[in-house]
Amino acid sequence: MSSTAKDITKVSRRRAFSKADRTTLSAFVGIPLFFHLLLVWIPAVLTILLSFTYWSGISISRIKWAGLANYKNIFFDTPAFWEALRNNIIWLGWFGLIATPLGILLAYQIDRQIRGHKFYETAYYLPVVLSLAVTGIIWNFLLRPDGFVNGLFGRDIDNAISFFGNYDINIYVILTIASWRHIGYIMLLYLAGLKSVDSALREAASLDGATEWQTFKKVIFPSMKPVNIIVIVITIIESLRAFDIVYIIYGSSAGFPILGTLVFQNIAGEGASMKGAAYAVILFVLSIGPIIAYLRTTFKSDVQ
Amino acid sequence: MSDLNNGISRRSVLKGAAVGGLGIAAGGSLLAGCGSGATGPLAYGARSVDAGPTAQNEALLAAYTAKTGNEVKYNATESNAFQNNLSQYLQGTPDDAFEWMAGYRMQFFAEQGLLADLTGVWDTIGDQYAESYKIASTGLDGKQYFVPRSWYPWGLHFRKSMFQELGLNADNVTNWDEFLKMLDGMKKKGLIGFAAGNKGGWEAMGTFDILNARINGYQFHVDLLAGREKWTDAKVTEVFTYWEQLIPYMNTNVLDLEWDGAMQLLLQKKAGSMLMGSWFGGNFKEQSEADYLDLSIIPFPEINPANGRDTIDAPIDGYCVAANGTNNEGGADFLKFAGDIEGVNAILGAKDANGLPIPMTSANKGQDTSSYDPFQKEQLAVMAEAKYITQFLDRDTRPDFAGPVVGPAIQSWFKNPKDIAKIQDTLQSQWDALPPLA
Repeated sequence: MSSTAKDITKVSRRRAFSKADRTTLSAFVGIPLFFHLLLVWIPAVLTILLSFTYWSGISISRIKWAGLANYKNIFFDTPAFWEALRNNIIWLGWFGLIATPLGILLAYQIDRQIRGHKFYETAYYLPVVLSLAVTGIIWNFLLRPDGFVNGLFGRDIDNAISFFGNYDINIYVILTIASWRHIGYIMLLYLAGLKSVDSALREAASLDGATEWQTFKKVIFPSMKPVNIIVIVITIIESLRAFDIVYIIYGSSAGFPILGTLVFQNIAGEGASMKGAAYAVILFVLSIGPIIAYLRTTFKSDVQ
Repeated sequence: MSDLNNGISRRSVLKGAAVGGLGIAAGGSLLAGCGSGATGPLAYGARSVDAGPTAQNEALLAAYTAKTGNEVKYNATESNAFQNNLSQYLQGTPDDAFEWMAGYRMQFFAEQGLLADLTGVWDTIGDQYAESYKIASTGLDGKQYFVPRSWYPWGLHFRKSMFQELGLNADNVTNWDEFLKMLDGMKKKGLIGFAAGNKGGWEAMGTFDILNARINGYQFHVDLLAGREKWTDAKVTEVFTYWEQLIPYMNTNVLDLEWDGAMQLLLQKKAGSMLMGSWFGGNFKEQSEADYLDLSIIPFPEINPANGRDTIDAPIDGYCVAANGTNNEGGADFLKFAGDIEGVNAILGAKDANGLPIPMTSANKGQDTSSYDPFQKEQLAVMAEAKYITQFLDRDTRPDFAGPVVGPAIQSWFKNPKDIAKIQDTLQSQWDALPPLA
């Protein structure tokens, strides 16, 4: 942030702006800033404030100060919160250890132009085009008790394989669905990064007799640091903000609690309370670390 | 007039930039209303997009327009979405009259000043309704905010043809032992005895209601939902002890199925009985007339002889007028028609896609019950036996408790019934943590 500010002052010292320039510049900066503040930061700050109140969302005069009561309620009285946190952490672990590495592996193989790489690229990229909500609808259609897969196995609704209601396996079912899309997303990001790696590095490594794994580990991977950080941050954010797929499949009943659905369940509908705002703040705090890291890398690479 | 203007200015604040156009539109219709002195064009918000209710609403609106010359704009929303957005809807630019539910759910919004007073409507049509409907339509301040349209009982549903094949007689399923014996017989025949779905989180609330009322009585049930009794009470434990006895006779995928999945089990004759509101009869009818005529209902069996079968969940659906609507007078005028036997008959005159009448058990005393089909007559009988009428768990207790707390609690009980003590503890601690009511 500070380095960008410095650059601007440097530029302005070098060249005086005309009045028209200044108007244009302030319009270009001011209008997006205005909407950003209006649509992102003001609601965010209001949400934080509201999380310390009791309010049903109806008539502003009815807001009452609650202190930490909503948070106390969540941490000490709501088992669903811990269940949700557990699910989000498993989600993060799965994405971090399985889905993201798979995406990287795919990107690497496709970049090496293995046979049929065009086909793989298209096949894995396809789910990324679909929104998460559509992904949820497709898989719900496939896996629900009267869905396609159960039909294929000749199972009726009374003896259908329980994909969503069996709590020993359903998290892995959900994670597989989410990975279906996430792998392609990571693959795409990484592929773009790999394309920009200087091929001379690779040649030098192979001349020195490095194996494929050594080349990747010692040469390619370190030279892609900015992309790596983005991939890590995206993996974390995607795991924490997960909502769409679960909402499409389970509705707002919190049949499969994750933080995103708890926010929705407590803030929407007749049962609205500022407990939902408190959930949102918790989610915000958990995500802000990765987001700051993400922004810093983006800014750094922009400046360079 | 000044009230209406206040409504608009409040909206302007809330709606910010978008309000310009809406404000002009609202002002326009206001002016029109003032100019002619008539009750003028109005908007009606339906909370269903299904074929049956749509046909009924269209018949009602057409009859109203034919009688009064007032145009009614029809806006239909899928019921879950409608329910989730109701707070925002009522504070924004709502339709003048809209479909809603009686009891606590209506009182909650009436108390916040979002519903218009319908005492005048009740003065006109009140004598067409039994006292219990008036009570269910009355807010905490003693004024009426609701006009009933229809009701349905929650009872034990089964298919007559299956009972016949199994050699069962519905008259012999009156108490818990007979009920378990029936379920056992069904299980031996390879059937699911008691179809259940709870993926939606609300379906099993009906089972909790009836078990609690049967075991502990109406008063305890009502007091529990109002917070005057504790969820940690041994009486609540007993409810779950009885419920656990039913698990072996249920389908194993309770948490996979929503209400319609459980209904499919009964429809496909894979299950012998199901506890549900009779409204799903409409879905049977859509399947085929024969399926509908095969459907039958009896009261849930007695458990504690002291209570008999004296309580029933019988939710009432109907209409309200939105205080923030542009035409409260028009909305009230419309409900005067909709609640009158004339409007009721217009609804009853609606036909489904096959040209058959759409069954509705009206709240209006004037409905000709001799025209009821056998299933409707059974519903009346089930209703007549009950001394106490409750709405439904999520209509009888605080909305920030029913959906976000009780729903997930029952789901986790299905995951592991052995956790009941812990679940009761968290139910009570979450009730205690609720914000004080304003």
